[in-house]
Amino acid sequence: MAASRSEDRDRAGLRHQAEALASTLPALLVAADRVASTVSQGVHGRRRVGQGETFWQFRRYQAGDSVQDIDWRQSAKSQPVYVRETEWEAAQSVWLWRDGSPSMDFRSAAGLPLKRGRADLLLLALASLLVRGGERVALLGQDRTPRAGRAALNHLAASLEAASSPTASLPPRVALPRFARVVLFGDFLSTLDEIGDAVRTLTGTGLRGHLVQVLDPAEESLPYDGRAVFEGVEGDGDLLLGRVETVREDYRRLVAERHAALSDLARSVQWTFTTHHTDRPPEAVLLSLYLALAEGGKLTR
Amino acid sequence: MLELGPIAFLSPLALAGLLVLPAIWLLLRLTPPAPRRFVFPPVRLLRKLASVEETAVRTPWWMILLRLALAVAVILGAAHPLLFAPAALQGSGPLVLFVDDGWAAAARWPARADFLARQIDQAERQGRPVMIETTARRDGQARVPVLESPAEARRRAAALRPRPWETDRAAALERLARAAAAANMAGAQVIWVSDGLDDGAVDDTVRALRALGPLTMAMAAAGAAPVVLMPPHGEGAVLKVTALRVPAPGVRRVWIQALDEQGQPIAREGLDFAADTAEGKLDLELPSQLRNRAALLRVEDQATAGGVVLLDERWRRRPVGISAAEGGGAAQPLLSETYYLDRALQPFTEVLRGSVADLIARGVTVLALTDSYNLEGPARGELAAWVEGGGVLLRFAGPRLAREAAQGEDPLLPVLLRRGDRSLGGSLSWGQPAALAPFPDASPFAGLDPPEDVRVRQQILAQPTLELAERTWARLRDGTPLVTARARGDGWVVLVHTTANTAWSNLAISGLFVDMLRRVVALSHGVSGAAKGPPLAPQQTLDAFGDLGPPPPEALPIAAADFADTRVGPSHPPGVYGTAADRRALNLSASLQAPRAIVDLPPAVAVTGLVAAPELDFRPWLLVAALVLALVDTLASLALRGHLRARTAGPAALGLLLVLAVPAPAPAQGAPERSVPPAPGVAPPPGLPPPAAQPAGEDFLRAASLTTRLAYVVTGDPVIDDASRAGLFGLSGLINRRTAIELGEPMGIDPESQDLSLFPLLYWPVTADQPPPTALAAERINEFMRNSGVLLVDSRQRGGEGTDLALARMERLLDVPPLVPVTGEHVLSRSFYLLKSYPGRWAGGQVWITRPDALVNDGVSPIVVGGNDWAGAWAVDRNHRPLFAVVPGGERQRELAYRFGVNLVMYALTGNYKADQVHLPAIIERLGR
Repeated sequence: MAASRSEDRDRAGLRHQAEALASTLPALLVAADRVASTVSQGVHGRRRVGQGETFWQFRRYQAGDSVQDIDWRQSAKSQPVYVRETEWEAAQSVWLWRDGSPSMDFRSAAGLPLKRGRADLLLLALASLLVRGGERVALLGQDRTPRAGRAALNHLAASLEAASSPTASLPPRVALPRFARVVLFGDFLSTLDEIGDAVRTLTGTGLRGHLVQVLDPAEESLPYDGRAVFEGVEGDGDLLLGRVETVREDYRRLVAERHAALSDLARSVQWTFTTHHTDRPPEAVLLSLYLALAEGGKLTR
Repeated sequence: MLELGPIAFLSPLALAGLLVLPAIWLLLRLTPPAPRRFVFPPVRLLRKLASVEETAVRTPWWMILLRLALAVAVILGAAHPLLFAPAALQGSGPLVLFVDDGWAAAARWPARADFLARQIDQAERQGRPVMIETTARRDGQARVPVLESPAEARRRAAALRPRPWETDRAAALERLARAAAAANMAGAQVIWVSDGLDDGAVDDTVRALRALGPLTMAMAAAGAAPVVLMPPHGEGAVLKVTALRVPAPGVRRVWIQALDEQGQPIAREGLDFAADTAEGKLDLELPSQLRNRAALLRVEDQATAGGVVLLDERWRRRPVGISAAEGGGAAQPLLSETYYLDRALQPFTEVLRGSVADLIARGVTVLALTDSYNLEGPARGELAAWVEGGGVLLRFAGPRLAREAAQGEDPLLPVLLRRGDRSLGGSLSWGQPAALAPFPDASPFAGLDPPEDVRVRQQILAQPTLELAERTWARLRDGTPLVTARARGDGWVVLVHTTANTAWSNLAISGLFVDMLRRVVALSHGVSGAAKGPPLAPQQTLDAFGDLGPPPPEALPIAAADFADTRVGPSHPPGVYGTAADRRALNLSASLQAPRAIVDLPPAVAVTGLVAAPELDFRPWLLVAALVLALVDTLASLALRGHLRARTAGPAALGLLLVLAVPAPAPAQGAPERSVPPAPGVAPPPGLPPPAAQPAGEDFLRAASLTTRLAYVVTGDPVIDDASRAGLFGLSGLINRRTAIELGEPMGIDPESQDLSLFPLLYWPVTADQPPPTALAAERINEFMRNSGVLLVDSRQRGGEGTDLALARMERLLDVPPLVPVTGEHVLSRSFYLLKSYPGRWAGGQVWITRPDALVNDGVSPIVVGGNDWAGAWAVDRNHRPLFAVVPGGERQRELAYRFGVNLVMYALTGNYKADQVHLPAIIERLGR
């Protein structure tokens, strides 16, 4: 019981932490060239008349228009009677996913957060930003439809922490609405081929996306010395190294090559790729995500 | 015990542990250190690299070596190795220690005691009983030695002290033989701890000792035999000092010290032994005042009673006064009476001239009056009183006395005289000039041999009386008196019935005259009658190390008559006997023969030195080494397993260093480390006033004298010197601003090489660790103080700590009169400012001055001693900002320190001029209030 109570506290804490993190940035309005063709009401003006709150144009009153649509103030300035039309505003939907595999349950030092914890935090913070911007968010692989508002945030947090949250190393192959946005958080330790397949599956539907690789600093730098046994977590088996320091340079080179390959992969499908280390503050990566999503800072309140 | 060359193992069984080493080596080789385990998600990436590095399954070779060294250190440490362990004793029976503890053994006594302790330790290790016999002469029934346990023997050996007399090895051997007959001496080993001196029976001693068991002889190196200082004899102004040594090939110089009764050195002279000689001579020439103060002579750096000679009245010089008529004989000095007297007295005594009253006032004990001296008026009474008080009046006859001899009793003549002289062998007489008869036995001249050629041509005759015979000390052949004497009170009146020149006899140009005068002068020493009197009780005696101390209970009084023949022994240790008024010295060396070294021992006698290389115990070192190795091993294996990173390696290495820095148990006693207290003044910051150029020679004199300057003694410690300079700089500036005194920049002075007389005030910071000034420097500083300079001695310690030390050093080195704390009435407290305290950088320390004595130096104290670090308070930098904080603090204290400085300089410059002048109105006003 005590364990579950403390878990409750952790969940609540995670959400608060995410909100606090997100509160440092203004609300995020995802730049949308082509808003996903959903029927959802949103904030992205479609430059055509439709449902919305923003003024679009006045036009002559035509038969069939509701009398309540007449803008009396405008009509009083001249002879014709004008009807006030608003711009059609739709919401962009962003599909979020984070790696839930056991390899994310790792930290190299007691002072560092778990990779999963950091990924959850980033995901929720981003969701919070999006929700405040009026966008709609959904958890890839779990939700059918994106939701907006605080309820969506709560739902997201609950889903992340639920025992049934996805544990796969790579995003599931699900059909997503066209022109939606995807943000994937994970350590991307799978083979490059698997990652490539997964990404291309998503891009096939015209999606644009962002890869955020969350790594522990030890995974990058291999700071161990001497004789050591390394235990894998996903059935990789153990490995004994006599003198770890001798392979350190090679390992770092390998990791760097991998980053380059992932970066290339992302660029080939017009996605972005960011690496985040858990010993770094999350604000940095959140900001870069923010910029990538807003694309040039078209920020609206 | 197992011995391998110089190394011995006390527990050799532990060495068997070395057999295990190969097994340890094998085990270590096969067991690599356990790896650490890490969870590591990207292990798949690592696996791609795993083929790059072959995993080391074996422990690295240096690790094996380290651990083997650790094991070896532990095993060797358990075996308890000793370097230079003393050789095991021979035999299996008791250990007999035959110890010379006569006076000569004192020379190396600590080494002897160590040697004995080592031998007893050895006996204890081997579980053998010990018998100790000592050889110093004993009186009465002596204790027969017995076999004792080593522990008892150690106590007995520790209680042994050398005795200040000779050894009597024959008696000791006899006691030893008696003891050996009563005990089981099978397998005995004999060690003769010898003083190295041959008493003429070394062969017998060796034979007797070898009868007990194998003999080892321990003695100091041949050249170390002590020097015997013989009692000197005085000749004129010179003390002829003779010292004897064991003849040795080299030239050797020993220093002879003369000390007074307080132990203060009076003189120090080198005495040289020529090569291959046993005897060295020294003429010790001392002014008679110093010589009369001398209480003992000693050979410097030789702590034996044989090197000490106590001096008593016999070695004192008594000045002899000669009174002659004014101008008498000045015309023809070679014919004057005083000339012959002077020449005859000069070899053995000091001669003073003058009128009677003058000479008595100068404290002569013998007064020679020539005939021509007109003894009239008040001088007669004075002279009579002086004779009653112990003076010896020596008169010579002559024409004047022959003319004026009174008819009645004259207190200044021993006998009644006939008027007129008697001429022998003159042109009107038939007689021949008379020769001297042999001296009567009761006469002080007894023993002198009158030469045949001494002739008396003219004399004054005495009235024949009953007492004449017993008052006569010398006669002519015809029985007429030549020298008569009479005791008056404590003194003597002696009359020589002929002249002191050659007018009436040729006595004055004979050698006999000198001897006779010597005897007469000796009368004044009060020695002649000393054969009688009460027994002479010991007052102070010498121990074997030549130090005077209270007499031991065994010391017995000596009958006065036997004193001259008394041999030093247990009942009569060397020392001072008699009473304070009649002090007699009994010297050890008077009863010693010339020392001879023991040579030509039989080959069967093993000879060893007293000093062995100190035994070095390796065990603590080995165990410490093992501990260190274990720590290194721990760190190394941690490092091998990757537990150590830079972050943690730092503290770990530091810890290791700390462990290494912990002083290992030191079996060898080193010199105790002298902790040097940090100088109280912090290093002066930059910006000190620039040092004045230190000119030399005439420039120095000009610089020092054209301007009045303060000066400080350069100590050689730059911190202190800078503080002194800055302090005097600050004080000089302040004095220039506030007073009429105009001071130049202060100068640093080296008292050894520079003239101090040009400075009114010398500041001398004294610290505990600075070397004492040389004798020359001390002399110059003494001279400075005598010539009205004021010396400010500052121990610079907070709260006046170290002032005592500084005082003690001052008193040892300098002629410091008695010091007293300065009082509120002293001039120092009101020579410019009215002061109640004299703070410097520190407050509250006592300030000392010489006892105010108006007779010396106008009552101005030549020295002011304290510990308040005044220079620290006065010190300013070039911008006249203070350099050091004052403690407890406040500018008030600094101001008071400056005021003290102003007062002191004023005091140094004006003396007691201000004592009662300047502040009288204010003082009266205060008193009224």
